[in-house]
Amino acid sequence: MLSKVHHVGIVVKSADEAMKFYRDALGLKVTADRVIEDQGVRGVLLAIGNSEIELLEPIRADTGVARFLETRGEGMHHICFESDDCAKDLDAAAGKGIELIDKVPRPGLAGMIGFLHPKSNHGVLIEYATPVHEGH
Amino acid sequence: MGIGAQYIDHIVIASNDSAATAKHFSETFDFPIKRTFARPGTGAHMEFAKLDEVVLEFAGPGTVQPYDEVKARMGGFVVAVEDIEKAVAAVRAAGFPCGDPHPAVQPGAKIAGVKSGTGGVPFAFIQYNALPIEEAKA
Repeated sequence: MLSKVHHVGIVVKSADEAMKFYRDALGLKVTADRVIEDQGVRGVLLAIGNSEIELLEPIRADTGVARFLETRGEGMHHICFESDDCAKDLDAAAGKGIELIDKVPRPGLAGMIGFLHPKSNHGVLIEYATPVHEGH
Repeated sequence: MGIGAQYIDHIVIASNDSAATAKHFSETFDFPIKRTFARPGTGAHMEFAKLDEVVLEFAGPGTVQPYDEVKARMGGFVVAVEDIEKAVAAVRAAGFPCGDPHPAVQPGAKIAGVKSGTGGVPFAFIQYNALPIEEAKA
């Protein structure tokens, strides 16, 4: 079951630069900041209310996030809904005819994650995430 | 030291057919559409759903053309703050240009947009209960 907006994903040229606004000016606390090698990104999560803001900075040119930045520039990339069972909710989406990017969950910054193809959702990229521990 | 940012109040999803996109999201992700709204004057059409504390606002034109394909995109998000005047002053002092707070569509609320530095995201602050709400006429 989807329970809330876990985070909004924002593709940026530089996470350090974007944090001048989200962390320093808004005062949001960084809850995670790490490089995800297989996705070719540095991801930063900042807590706000019951949700988070995720900054995604490409570290290689051969990734979807890098291509997004190249073609569209900085901006909102996806919405992530929190799921209590990512695998089950991915299966449920597939059962409704939604094309999946990830047929099974994989580890990500927000926990076990899976993406739904934007072409199945009017062009909007949707992620499901099941946190692997308490909290965001 | 924070500026009193409380939570993501709403995320805007702009669509060439907001009713169709809202219906698709509602059926796919199992959350109800709570409200629809046509902005006076412009005819802009909006549908609203809520998931926990965050509202998803589907926004589109009042007149929907016979599109071959419904297309949507994320159009920005709005953060609720305790005191919008303080928030605006603080982000300006930090070097980020910000518009003046003005009445929002939401009754009694004020809103102000941040103009740059947000990572390419249309971004605004909103404060509820910032203005007196006119008595609803019976």
